[in-house]
Amino acid sequence: MAGSALRRLMAEYKQLTLNPPEGIIAGPINEENFFEWEALITGPEGTCFEGGVFPAKLVFPSDYPLSPPKMQFTCEMFHPNIYADGRVCISILHAPGDDPMGYESSAERWSPVQSVEKILLSVVSMLAEPNDESGANVDAAKMWREDRAEFNRIAERIVRKTLGLS
Amino acid sequence: MRAASITFISLALTTAVVGNAFYHKKQFYPSVVYITKSNPSMAVIYIQALVVVVLMGKLMQKVFFGQLRAAEFEHLADRSWYAVTETCLAFTLFRDDFAPRFVAQFILLLFLKAFHWLAEDRVDFMERSPIISWLFHFRIISLMCVLSLLDTYFVSHAYHSTVSGGASAQIVFGFEYMILLMIVVNIVIKYVLHTIDLNSDNPWDNKAVILLYTEVVMGMFKVVLYFTFLIIMVRIFTLPLFLFRPMYYTLRSFRKAINDVILSRRAIRNMNTLYPDATPEELSAADNVCIICREEMHSASKKLPCNHIFHTSCLRSWFQRQQTCPTCRLNILRIPSDRNTAPNQPAGAEAQAQPDVPPAPHPGLPNPFMNGVFPGMFPFWQQPFNMQPPNQAAAAPQPGQPGQQQQQPPSASAGPSAGPAAGPAAGPGTMPAPPFPPMPPGFGLPFFCPPFPPAPVPPPFAVPAPMPPPGLATLSEEELSRLESAARDGVAARLQCLQNIQQLLDAAVLLMQQYSNAAATAAAATPVPSFAPTSPSSVPSSSASSPSPSSTSGVDKPSSGLLGAGAVKHDTK
Repeated sequence: MAGSALRRLMAEYKQLTLNPPEGIIAGPINEENFFEWEALITGPEGTCFEGGVFPAKLVFPSDYPLSPPKMQFTCEMFHPNIYADGRVCISILHAPGDDPMGYESSAERWSPVQSVEKILLSVVSMLAEPNDESGANVDAAKMWREDRAEFNRIAERIVRKTLGLS
Repeated sequence: MRAASITFISLALTTAVVGNAFYHKKQFYPSVVYITKSNPSMAVIYIQALVVVVLMGKLMQKVFFGQLRAAEFEHLADRSWYAVTETCLAFTLFRDDFAPRFVAQFILLLFLKAFHWLAEDRVDFMERSPIISWLFHFRIISLMCVLSLLDTYFVSHAYHSTVSGGASAQIVFGFEYMILLMIVVNIVIKYVLHTIDLNSDNPWDNKAVILLYTEVVMGMFKVVLYFTFLIIMVRIFTLPLFLFRPMYYTLRSFRKAINDVILSRRAIRNMNTLYPDATPEELSAADNVCIICREEMHSASKKLPCNHIFHTSCLRSWFQRQQTCPTCRLNILRIPSDRNTAPNQPAGAEAQAQPDVPPAPHPGLPNPFMNGVFPGMFPFWQQPFNMQPPNQAAAAPQPGQPGQQQQQPPSASAGPSAGPAAGPAAGPGTMPAPPFPPMPPGFGLPFFCPPFPPAPVPPPFAVPAPMPPPGLATLSEEELSRLESAARDGVAARLQCLQNIQQLLDAAVLLMQQYSNAAATAAAATPVPSFAPTSPSSVPSSSASSPSPSSTSGVDKPSSGLLGAGAVKHDTK
């Protein structure tokens, strides 16, 4: 019998392939190693990221699901809650007790109840509604608040880039 | 590409050097002498040797590991960087011994270390991959054999050379190989555990615990080794700077391992004592999937106070990190005491309604005696109800109850107090403000109190008995919600309540001392043999909470004794 982390990841993979949520594809990069996944997220409709397909990498710790995975976009992103290197900063990816921005309540932190699907859905909603109070990318947060037109322009450029159009 | 070109260049250089030597000297022996005498030639030879070592390493890696994963390679690069730095530090310590032979030994050490690290990573990888081939097992087993043989050989070599030749840099090597041997043992244990787990049909719940203990034991051995080595080095040579980083990490991981074991033990203990096993009905009522591992629960599952059910082993590993329910984040450490009181306490419903907030005096109600002459005394009379937070009742819920009932007849016959009569009917929690309320069941005092006439208290306690506050049950919804509010007045009210409780306890102790003094004088004046021994023992029982049987049986006698004491005091006045 394989380890519990591996079994849970395999169960989640199965679940995600049987009932894929809309606009999300995720699975291990290599089926020999279930602890590194690749995900494709489509930009939510009606937002500046609409139409884009954003690739991201998920790295799971060996004690998953007790600790959260790490998520990093592998394409260029410009968003208040995504670091310049692509790392995603949302509260359910933070273990309780580690609070990089110092304002998250423990109720919205990681717990074993969360799953890859929930993480990706949260990321989709984060794309739709940035939280400009947590400045993972301060420039983006400032622009989102003050110069929405410019922000939309940059987002559109990134969307075109992910689609290989420019 | 770069590696290939470097290999090619060094090979070309070596050929050139050797060819040059032969061209000049024509014979084998003179050309060897020529090469060893010429520094540039030796440099080329050394570089060639290094390249050969690296190539050997690559070959061994291909044989034992196949393709390295990206993460493994990164890990290896990080660790090699540190190891090289430390080796340079070690060179400074042994600069007198600095010789090609010595450098070669260090490089060999680094070389073997790298394989230990890779083996560690590879065995950890067993948990991550669903596909573990026979080749994998064969490679790991053979690698472990080779590494352990080499380590043992070098340890014994270092030992013999130290014994025969005295202390030298060989001590460092011996010690380093001892550490490596330790790592091999650790890897083998992990490998065996993983293999057993992989080949069993059921999940092996105790594996995590065994791994924890392995970690602690190995950590302890390593720490002991490092300290021994440190002491030896300090005594023979000097402070080994190169040792501090690995030593620090070893200590840190040892501390973490111990911490983990403690937390895990606590989690297991909590689970075994506090939470019931889930029954099959409960399992079928819920959707029967453990939300932590997403697998069905057939056996060994626990139900938390919030009715969420999980596998025992999943819960154990989660509680090791956090003491909350994974689903609803209920803090499970704060709940148990309230839960236990529920079945025993008549006012259980009330206690559960506000489990965290002790029943506080109504903040709006003035406390006229709080600033009185004898502050310690007042709360005792004033707020007897507040002495019933659920925890205390839980401490001795049952033994107190009969005592309280026993106390009724004498107090009723004593007459004027109507409170005790109302007591059993309403239950201790919901009693509506009797003039002379009975003490909570755990309290030692009630056995002495009732016989006193309530209003004219005997001289030593000559203070007017204040009105007790209204029972909490009579508070209106609005007042209750104000008491619970997180706003400033709510917090202040709760703090006030806690202060009152403390004063109450102080007062109780004081009172008991006075009682026992009085009783001692009374016993001296009118010898009551059964009473004398009980009075000292009842002093602690006011704060601890189980009344001893002798004190309940002595309900009548002490009262007469105390009244007698009062009389004696009057007389002496």
